[in-house]
Formats: sequence, C-alpha cells, structure tokens
Amino acid sequence: MSSVVSPIRQPLVNGGKTYHQITEDICSPTERMPSTQWFIAFAVSIAFLGVFAFSVFWTVYWGIGSWNLNRTIGWSWDITNFVWWVGIGHAGTLISAILLLFRQKWRTGVNRAAEAMTIFAVICAGQYPLLHVGRIWLVFFIFPYPNTRGPLWVNFNSPLLWDVFAISTYLTVSLLFWYTGLVPDFATLRDRSKGIRRRIYNGLSFGWTGSAKHWQRWEALSLILAGLATPLVLSVHTIVSFDFATSVIPGWHTTIFPPYFVAGAIFSGFAMVQTLMIITRKVLKLQDYITLEHIESMNKVILVTGTIVGVAYLTELFNAWDSGYIYEQFAFYNRVLGPFYWSYIGMMTCNVLSPQIFWWKKMRRNIFVTFIMSLFVNVGMWFERFVIIATTLARDYLPSSWSYYTPTWVEIGLFVGTLGLFFTLFLLFTRVAPVVAIAEVKSILKTSGDQYSHEEH
Amino acid sequence: MKNNNKEVWIGHNDLNSPELQEMAKQEFANNIPVVDTMADEQVMESSTNRRDFLKYLGFGLGAATVAASCEIPVKRAIPYVVKPDEIVPGVATYYASSFVKGGDYTSILVKTREGRPIKIEGNSLSPVTHGGTTARAQAAVLDLYNVNRLQNPTKDWAEMDAEIKGALASANNIRIITNTNMSPTAQKAMGEFLAAYPNAQVVTYDAVSASGMLEANEASFGVATIPNYHFDKADNIISFGADFLGTWISAGEYAHGYAKNRKVDPKAENPTMSHHTQVESYMSLTGSNADNRIMVRPSEQGAAIKAFYNALVGNNMGSELNEKASNALKALANKVKGANGKTLVVSGSNNVAEQVVVNAINEYLGSYGSTITFDRTSNQRQGLDKPMAQLVSDLKGGKVDALIVMDANPAYDLPEAADFAEAMAKVKTSVFISTVPNETGALCKYVAPAPHFLEAWGDVEPKAGMYSIIQPTIAPLFNTRQAEESFLVWADSPNLNADADQPYYEYLKANWETNMFPKQNNFLSFQTFWDKTLHDGVFTAPVAASNVRNAADVNAYLAQIAKPGQGEEIVLFETVAMGAGQYAENPWLQELPDPVTRTTWGNYFGIPITWEGGNSMVTYQNLNQEEYKGKADVVEVSVNGKAQDITCIASFGLAANTFSAALGFGRTEVGFAGKGVGTNSMAWLSRDKDGNVQYFNTLDAEPKPTGEIDYEFPCVQYHHTFGITGQEDGKEINVDEKTLMAIGEGFQGGLTDRSIIYQANLSEVNDLKAKIAEKRDFAKHLNEATLYPYEEYQEKFYSQGHHWGMAIDLNACIGCGACQVACVAENNVPVVGKTEVSRHHEMTWLRIDRYFFGDHENPNTVYQPMMCQHCDNAPCENVCPVGATNHSSEGLNQMTYNRCIGTRYCANNCPFKVRRLNWYDYTTADLFGGNEVSVNGEEIPFGADNLTRMVLNPDVTVRSRGVIEKCSFCVQRIQEGKLTAKKEGRSLREGDIKPACQTACVTGAITFGDFNNENGALAKALDSELNYLVLEETNVQSSVHYSAKIINRDEAIS
Repeated sequence: MSSVVSPIRQPLVNGGKTYHQITEDICSPTERMPSTQWFIAFAVSIAFLGVFAFSVFWTVYWGIGSWNLNRTIGWSWDITNFVWWVGIGHAGTLISAILLLFRQKWRTGVNRAAEAMTIFAVICAGQYPLLHVGRIWLVFFIFPYPNTRGPLWVNFNSPLLWDVFAISTYLTVSLLFWYTGLVPDFATLRDRSKGIRRRIYNGLSFGWTGSAKHWQRWEALSLILAGLATPLVLSVHTIVSFDFATSVIPGWHTTIFPPYFVAGAIFSGFAMVQTLMIITRKVLKLQDYITLEHIESMNKVILVTGTIVGVAYLTELFNAWDSGYIYEQFAFYNRVLGPFYWSYIGMMTCNVLSPQIFWWKKMRRNIFVTFIMSLFVNVGMWFERFVIIATTLARDYLPSSWSYYTPTWVEIGLFVGTLGLFFTLFLLFTRVAPVVAIAEVKSILKTSGDQYSHEEH
Repeated sequence: MKNNNKEVWIGHNDLNSPELQEMAKQEFANNIPVVDTMADEQVMESSTNRRDFLKYLGFGLGAATVAASCEIPVKRAIPYVVKPDEIVPGVATYYASSFVKGGDYTSILVKTREGRPIKIEGNSLSPVTHGGTTARAQAAVLDLYNVNRLQNPTKDWAEMDAEIKGALASANNIRIITNTNMSPTAQKAMGEFLAAYPNAQVVTYDAVSASGMLEANEASFGVATIPNYHFDKADNIISFGADFLGTWISAGEYAHGYAKNRKVDPKAENPTMSHHTQVESYMSLTGSNADNRIMVRPSEQGAAIKAFYNALVGNNMGSELNEKASNALKALANKVKGANGKTLVVSGSNNVAEQVVVNAINEYLGSYGSTITFDRTSNQRQGLDKPMAQLVSDLKGGKVDALIVMDANPAYDLPEAADFAEAMAKVKTSVFISTVPNETGALCKYVAPAPHFLEAWGDVEPKAGMYSIIQPTIAPLFNTRQAEESFLVWADSPNLNADADQPYYEYLKANWETNMFPKQNNFLSFQTFWDKTLHDGVFTAPVAASNVRNAADVNAYLAQIAKPGQGEEIVLFETVAMGAGQYAENPWLQELPDPVTRTTWGNYFGIPITWEGGNSMVTYQNLNQEEYKGKADVVEVSVNGKAQDITCIASFGLAANTFSAALGFGRTEVGFAGKGVGTNSMAWLSRDKDGNVQYFNTLDAEPKPTGEIDYEFPCVQYHHTFGITGQEDGKEINVDEKTLMAIGEGFQGGLTDRSIIYQANLSEVNDLKAKIAEKRDFAKHLNEATLYPYEEYQEKFYSQGHHWGMAIDLNACIGCGACQVACVAENNVPVVGKTEVSRHHEMTWLRIDRYFFGDHENPNTVYQPMMCQHCDNAPCENVCPVGATNHSSEGLNQMTYNRCIGTRYCANNCPFKVRRLNWYDYTTADLFGGNEVSVNGEEIPFGADNLTRMVLNPDVTVRSRGVIEKCSFCVQRIQEGKLTAKKEGRSLREGDIKPACQTACVTGAITFGDFNNENGALAKALDSELNYLVLEETNVQSSVHYSAKIINRDEAIS
C-alpha cells in the first residue's frame, strides 16, 4: 500500500479512531440485541418474502398464465426484474475488484456491504430465470450434464445458456471474494466472543491466526480474485445484453447494448449501494467509516455512468434514425411516443436528467439528495429495462400481433417478493458479519484517518 | 455355469457342427442350468443366515411398499376380439359423407382412426363444393363428441312411441317445425307421416331466411326456388348485402366460383379479374373482399336497389338514397350497362319487392342463362317466414295440439321467440327431435334424441339432381334414433323394417333403388351403383334445362319498396362461425375469430369509427378509446322496446348512423360452450309487411354507455389496419400511423413501408411488380452482408431430398377461417376460452391477419394467413437454450415438445409471432391436477373428459402446460405421405402431401410442396413476379411465399 497520500484528499475515517475503536464500532452491531428499527425492518422484509413464496407457489401451480404475458409479449416484468437485479449486483464487484486494482482507498468503507449486496442481488436475479420458464421442474435441462438421451447437449448458441454460465460464474467469484474478505474479520469476531458463537466464527474464519503468512496469502488471494473478477464485471452484463442484442427484434438488435448495459449496471449498482449505505451508516452508527467522502465518490460514479447511459439513449435514437431501416425507426419512435411513452419519460427523467444535479458538489455531499437520487436511479433503471423489454415486444414486426401489457398481482408479488428476499438477507447479514471491512479500514487508518491526514483535527 | 453358447444355433455354420447335430437328436439339452445349479454344493448348503434373511425381507418389503404406493396409470386400451378388416391400427380410413345442418351443406370425407372420426376433409368429387370446406363443416366433428348431447329419450323408446302415437292419433292439428331439409329420403319419410296423419302440416323456416327471395322468384318466374349462381362467369359482381362468401345460402360453393375469377395471372400483359361491388351497411366478409363498397344504411337497401334499377334503365334515380351511394350506383350502372350476360347481381334482402327488382336488374343485364341459371336450382334455403309467423299465432290461439320440432329452435331464433316459448305451454303434445338440447327442446314434453350426422345414414340434394350421401363413420355413441326413423315409426310405415339392424339404412337404400338408380345409366346393377355412390359420396343425375321467363311487373314492385327510415339503425347479421346460433355449442367455432372484427366468444355492438384529426380514431360517443389495451365499453341498446347491455367494438365500414350486432349469441339452453356467450339479438329483428324477417331495425334510443368496462374483450387483433388514409391540413396522411402514437404526429410510413403486405390496384400491377422486385433486391442486398451466405447453406443442405415450402395467394384468400379450424382439428390445438383469448393467450397455429388499407371511411381489406414460416435461418432456433426447436434436413422448423422448458425466448424472437406457449394446463396433460382452466364455466374442463378426447388426432402429441407449440407444416402428414410412397416403392408424387389448411381451403389459396420439385404446383405458384417473402430483409429465409393482393377498385364507384 502506498503510504503517500495527498493532504488535499479528505479523510476516509473520521472521529480520530484508534484500531481498537474501529473493532468496537464495527463489531458491536453483531454482538448486541438488534434495535427496534431492525426488528421492524426485518418483519416487513419477512412479510414480503412471504409474498414471494406465495407468488412462486401460484406461478408454479397454475403456470405462467398467471402472469399477464401473452403471445406477443413473452417477457416483461420477469426479465425486467432479472436484468435490474443483475445490474444492481454490479457495484460490489466493481468496488471490490476494479477499485482494488486501482488502489482506490475509499472503497474500504463500502466494499463489504457492496459485495454482500451484489451476492444478494444476484440471488434475487437468479430467481427469475428459474421462475419464468414454463416447466420449472425440467429446468435442469439447461445445464450441460452427461445424460442418456444421446447424450443430448444444450444449445451453445443460445444467449440464455451464456447467461447461465455468466451468472453462475459471477455468483461464485463474488461469493469467494466476499468470503475471503470476511475471513480476518470473522477471526476478529471470534476473538471477541465466547461459547457456541466463538466456535461458529472459528469455523467461519478457517482458524485464522493473523500470522504474517496468513496475511500474505490473504493479500495474494484477494489480488488474484480481483484479477478474476474484473473481467466479470464487464462480461456479465455484456452477456445479459446479448439476450437482446443477438435477437432479430428491432429495438433489441443493437450493437450498442454491451457497453450501454455495463454502464447502466454500474449506475444502478452504485445507486443501490447508496440506498443501503445511507440507511446502514445511520442505523448502525457507522458515519465515521462511511463518510460524506465515500458518498461523494459514489455520486461521482453515478454522474459519470448516468451520463454514459444518457449518451447511449441518444445514440440509439440517432442510430435508428440513421439506419434507414423502417422497423428500427418505428421501434424507437414507438418507444418514445407510443402507448408506453410514460415509461420512456420515467427512464429519461430518472436516469439522465436527475443525476445531472451531481455536477454540484453541494448536492453530491447532501445525504438527503443522495438518498432520493439513489431511489430515482433505481426506479429509472427499472424503467429502462421495462422499456427495452416490454415496449419493444409489444409492437414489433407484424401489426396484427401487437398487444399491450399490464402486470398481474402475481408478477407484482414476485417483484415485491424479491425485494423482501433481498432485504431479509441484507438484514441478516448486518447481524452476523461486520458490515465494514475491519481489516481493510484499519489498513488505511494511518493514511486516511482524519487524525493522521489532517493535522488540524 | 458352463459356456453353452454353442448350443444355440446362430448361423448356417452351426449346421455342420457335430455337437449340434448330436444335440438335435436329444429331447432335452444336455446341460440344464438348473441341474447344474442344484448340483452346486454351496446352493444346497445355503449360506443364508438369519441376518441375510432379515435383510432380504426388509428390502423386499420396502421395495414392494414403494412400488405399490406409486400410482399406476389406468390404461383403458381394449384390443379387438375380432379385428375388422378395414381397420389397421395407425392407418386412417376415409369415408365419403356429407355435412348437413339445416341448409348448410358440404360434401366431405371423414377421416377415421381406429374407428373414431377425427377429421373432416373436403370431397373433391363434389360438383357443388369441389373439395373445399367451410369452418362450420370442419368443426362439425367436434359436435359428435359434445358432452352436452342428448343421450337418451325421455322414456324408453317403445313406451314413448306408444304415447306419442296415441297423442298424435287424437290430435286435431299436428305441426312439424323444421329448418330447411334437403334430404329426398327424409322428405319421403315425412310424406308417409303426413299421409298417416292428415291433420299434420310441415312448417319449414330458416332463422336467417331467404324467404323473400323464394317468394320473389315465385312472383318473377313461377318457381319458389333459388337459382344456380355462377360467380366464376361474372365479370361484374354486384351484391346488395348478400354475404355470399361467408354465410349466404351456399357460401362455400360461391367462394369457390368467385375465387376463380379473382386470381390474377401474373404472366399476363394486361391481367384481368372480376370487379366486385358490395352495397351494404356493415362490413361483412364479402364486403371486405369487395373492390368497391357502397355504404348504405340498412333501411336504404331497398332504395339502393331501386336507384340502381332506375339508373340502369335510365329512369330518374330519385332522392331517397344518400347522395354518395347514389352517385356511386350511377357510376356502377354506367360501368355494367353494356356488358350483357357478364354481370351477376345478388341481394341478401329478405323483402319480396326488393328481390323482384333484383331479378329485373339481372334480367336487364342479361344474367339469366349465363351467370344465373335455373338448371341446378339450390335447395339450400327452403324456409318461408310467413307460415312460421302464422304458426306462432296459431299456437298462441291454442289451435295446435301436437307439435313436433325437428332440429329447429324457434324458441330462440324467431323474432317472436318469447311468444313462441310462452305459447308452447298450450300445446298438449310436443316432441323434440335433435342431437343437442336447445331452448325449444327444453319446453317439449318428449325428447327423441337423434344421432349426429357422423353416426347416421342419409342423403342430401343440395342442388337439383346433385345427390350426396351421408353414411355413418362410427356406431351411435348414445341411445339415439334417426329423425326419419322416428317419423316412420310413428306413421307405422310398412316400408320400415323395424327389426333390421339399421332400419333407416334399408329404407334409404330402397328409396335410392326406386328413385335415384333409374336416373343413371352407367351401372346396370343397383349394388354397384350403390357401392360407387357410397365410395364417391356424391351422385349427379342429369336435369333438364329449365327455361324460365320473368313475368313480374317490376313497376308495381318498385312502388312497394319502402322509403328509408330515419334515426339510428342497427343491422343484425349472421357470422361465419356462429350462423344463427346453431353452432353455438362448438368451442372451436366460438374461438374462431370473426374474420372482420377479429373477435371471439361473443357478439359485439359495432360502433362507427372515423377520424377527425388528432391522435386517436373518433368513435361513436368516444367509446372504446382504449381498445388497443383490451378494454371495451358496455352500452345499453334498446330495440323493439327490449333493452340489453352489450360490449362495443369500434368498426370500420359502418354506414352513417348505423350500428351492427351479430345474431346467434346469448343462448341459454345449449352446450357449455354457447351458454351465456354474447347477447341475444334475435328479439331485435323485425318483420316487413309480408311477414318476412328483416335483419335490421331502428334503435329505440341512442345507445347509452353504462359506464362499465369489459376487460374481457376477446379480440385477437387490437390493431385495425395497415395504414388507412385521411386528410389532414389538406394533405393525405396515413391516419393509422398517426393514431398509433400517444404523442406527436406519428411516423408516416411506419406501417406501410414494411414488407408484410404488398397490394395494388389492377391497373398498377406492373408498378407493383417493379416495387416488389426493388424491395426484394434491396432485401437480398442486405441479406448478402453476412458471414454465412444462405446460398451456400441452401446448396449444402437442401439441394438433395425434400425442401418443404408453401405459397399463399392473398388474392384467393377470402379470410373465411376454414383453414384455421382445420388446423385446430388436425393438430389438437387447445381451446382456451374467452378470458384467455382476451389476454391474448389464444393457441391457434394458423391465424388470418386482417389489414385495412385505403380511405379510412371506406377501406379495402386484405387477409393474410399467417403461420410458422419455417425459416431456414430461423431466429427461434438459435436462441433456445435447450435446443428444443431445431431444423430438419427437409427445411422444417421443428418443435421437440418433450425438450421444451418454456423460456419463450423463441416466441419473442419470432418476427411473425406465431409461437404459442401453453400458458395454463389447457389440455389437462399437466403434471399437477386441479389447475385446469375452464373454457366457459363448464364443470369438467373442456377436453378433460374421455368423450371429447376421442376427437384428438393420435398422430399429434398433446402438449402440456409450459410448452411452446406452433405450426409444423402438418409434419405427421408429410411423414405419412413419405411412408406411403416408400411402401409403394415410388418417389413422392405431387399432391401426396397436403397440410390441413390446404385441403380445407375452398378457394385454393394455399399450395404446399417441395421447392426441389421443379415441375410441382409449388414451383408453378412461385413463378410469379407478384411473389414475395414477408419480412425478407430480416434474413430469416422463410419458406412461406405470399402472392401480392390485387384489387380491382374503380375510384368512380365509391
């Protein structure tokens, strides 16, 4: 780690923390009774999870007919939610891997929670490809396993199959990355606890002793995983975008999709990190570790990626106009001005226009504005996927087949349900693991702690 | 055990083996393994100890328990004790028969498998229907397995017969109500009954009747009959409200003739086709196919006929008719004036005076003897309205004491149905003879169930001298007796051998021996004649040319034509699928979209649609503004003082101040499929002063929106048009493209520049050819920009063997829907019901897209049959993650249902949107129970019962929930054709393989074949500059070619 830090940089750890205080601050939420707020949040999340379970049962028992998809619109909320969740799952790995490689110190405050969020988001995303199939009991057909039917293999040409590999790889690597980071912190928790709790954390920390060799191997592993994960950040959403880009449907068949999707994914991922962190730092009193500095950094990323996404939207429109291809032109005309115009307006407003307020530093450092904006971005990115999927399918080549789409309660239930699943997992996570990477924060304390970097404090 | 392999004789080498020869002499094989085993010391000293015993016991018990607890499916397969000669399992047997329902007739072949009729095909030997079928005929096979059929008589037959005979003997006034009956033998049986009961009278009526026409022909020519129309011989066809392609009299026959003169020869320098003008109030199937439509209000129909007559003969046209129609008719009169004998004028009017004037018009135009002849007169509508009205009043007066209703349903389909139903109570003895229950049957004392026509014997004479046989294809499923037999039994006929195995068969045969056999001289013995007739299904006897003269005083009748009414009017019409309600219990027909409105499962109140600028079409009272979202408004409509709520549909082509509603819905006593579907509009009918039923009326008041919204609006095509034009700011714009958008001015060209439909006026055919060539060249140019050139691929994979393809002539397609029902029947396509159709979950593999084009006030229509295009570069195939859809070596796009997991990616990526997911458990073939959806509130879901399942085609897999399905080009037929050819040691011949849609088509719009057969019909059809591929620029390399739509529109006439 570099030891030279520009004095211009703002401190990343406030409150003149000592190493012990850091341990205390971060470990204590897992050791005391949860607050009432936590219980309320958990109850709500569990209730939503129940909605999810019921909607899943309904879907599997009755069939996909319980959704309002039809002969024209074969995907809508299901794949919209899938792409939305996968997109959200991009921030974690980006923060952990790419920012690690770029030696961005501010990542240490948020990487743990962001990685956890990634994993939970990918778990939520993974529900939809499973649930959206007509015969879920045969969904194992999608895996290339040796069989007695020939053997009969999967279709390696299909982007859906690529999805299977991309998402499962991403989940695996993210999980490893996250867990690797947790090992020394679990050891810290173990050292502070007794009895059964101690034994559990001992197991989870793989008998970590904190020896120099352990630290050396841990650093090496982190770097290797970062190296592995970095291309994944770009590949996962690229492959998800192939679901659309390789099709023949005007509005889907677009070469701009891979970069556009990746930018959008990072955009929405950071927004979700903001949403969660702003609540977490408040509830768990971690303002000293997740500082305005962190928030501002992430807002900058949001501004950049939001603008990239905006450029992509405009490029799409330009390309459609420039293509001279009637179907393409109509698809985009219809996307903007057709019966689903409101979703396009929603997308443009939330994703392109509203993040522009982050050009002002004051706004970037305003927690309330940031929180509202993070919600806006999440809504906007949901609209983006809805626009791409449902609006495009609703009016494609043959006017005779055009249709319209509104969701049923089952589809809404599944979406709300995955939110429940996500928050249930996240709330449990805040109870069992340090939400800030203790070891990593400690590693930057002497360079970015306020008492060290700014003598005036 | 020793190696005893050599003991088995496995080849001629062994013959010489001395060991084997030695062995062959011995009675027992040397080494019987059992002995060896028993001799084994260890076996005798069994080492099985107590533990092992317990292990085996435990395992055995466990295994037995597991095995016993698995539910073993009950298989109800019973082998033949004595196998009938004509049945080979797996091989279909065809029988010639006839589909008859009232006046509807189609000569058919019935496909039976293992003794079950499963499919109806057209009989190409028929001189009437020429091998074509109608949707109604195609669907009839399902009625055989209708769970709601009448299964038993009210009482035991003998007991009931005795009671009925006693009642009839003491009756003073017996009336028999029937619809058109075209059977000569049934007429004979009826004659015997009438002779036995002199107090009896037959009253024949038709719900949608040609009574006015029959009376008019009586007045003009002295014969109350329907003449023989030759639509193929007419250069100008003018129809005053006759839906002769869809529902009028013998629509299938007329459509066949009509199409002949509508196909354009693409090779001709100056191609010709007939010119068709339709004068009507709502857009009928026929009107939608017309080159020019002249819109008149329903009450103006008579005035239009009068004006046209006056214009022809040079009289003053008067001012009764609206000006636009008047001018158009004038232009039309000028157009047809000189063309003697080349014009055919028909009218659907049920008014005597109007029909007499139509006769006079035809007389003036020299149609008689050329386009209309009286040689093969039609028997297909015989009903007279006045006697039926008389009967209702007789019933009310209590004058009738015995009533026999044969297949008719006057308690539903008369304008005075309510009165009739009430008066039925006054009849002492009422007998109902029918296959299925209906509103009238429910009021009758005795029910004598009749067999379905596929279980019955009979004959038909649809046109003079053209006979057709009805033969059973399955033993009666229920305790039924043919109506004719019942009449003969009640008449105590000496000619009926009641002890015979099939009494009516004997009677029929005897009648044919005495009456039909002498009419021919090809066969010397009756038996050979009979065998031949049964085999062919049809027999044509010569008839004498009839020379009739028009003797009516046309001026007297002109004066009788009523003046047009005032106010808002409603036109009531018969639909292609539902008839006058007699087809209501058929789920296939309920789910067949109306060709023009594209609605299913109900009738809708047509409200006029116009455009006056802005981003939406202007509908009457701004109703149905969100039809594109599947929402329709409900209005209250009151006619004849009878108010009902009915759902609206925005409709093009309605005359000013005119609304429309279909007849035949809102049935109450009917099989599950028809129960409560739609609104009963029969009570809105009226009668003219001659007592003939008029199919229009004046509204009592403005239709009143109830404020309710019908969210179950089962319309399969929300989007109306293909780009209709209108004026805005003085320039012509494509209205539809504008109204598509919620905001802004619309994207001009967004619809019309698509390569889906190519159409042009006849005079611009050469321009169209150039346009198609240009567009196709451009598409090919785009498609060449690929790493995988199609030509190489085609050469590599398809230059050998078969490469299946299809050609569809949009000019021949009239949109009747017969192919769609045929496809449903052939391929076990599920019926999903109203709610599901309203959610766009219909499962049809083949649909007929309808697009309007031209002026928005009076557009033209093109119908496009759309099914899987079997793309050789199919976008669906590469996206399926499990490879469930793939390409055959013969160019077929195949679905492997067992492999499909239902991701729907293929459906999304299909540019033609022809792939269908089984959203619910429509076929009751699912893993779980209890999750079937009911089609129309039935107790046992449609298709779950064993009776209905008998209609399934055993060659086609029944798909379960969650599986995608789509058109297979009837791969089972391809396979069958190939196997037959292989068995016969020959190569495939032209016409060996025809998919269900092609055989059903009455106009020959569909040609299936092998691209590699250079001399085949397909190659011939493809050799045209009017051919194109839909969406060719997407480089999907589809295998279905379309031939552009040509209309012969005359701008002066509109």
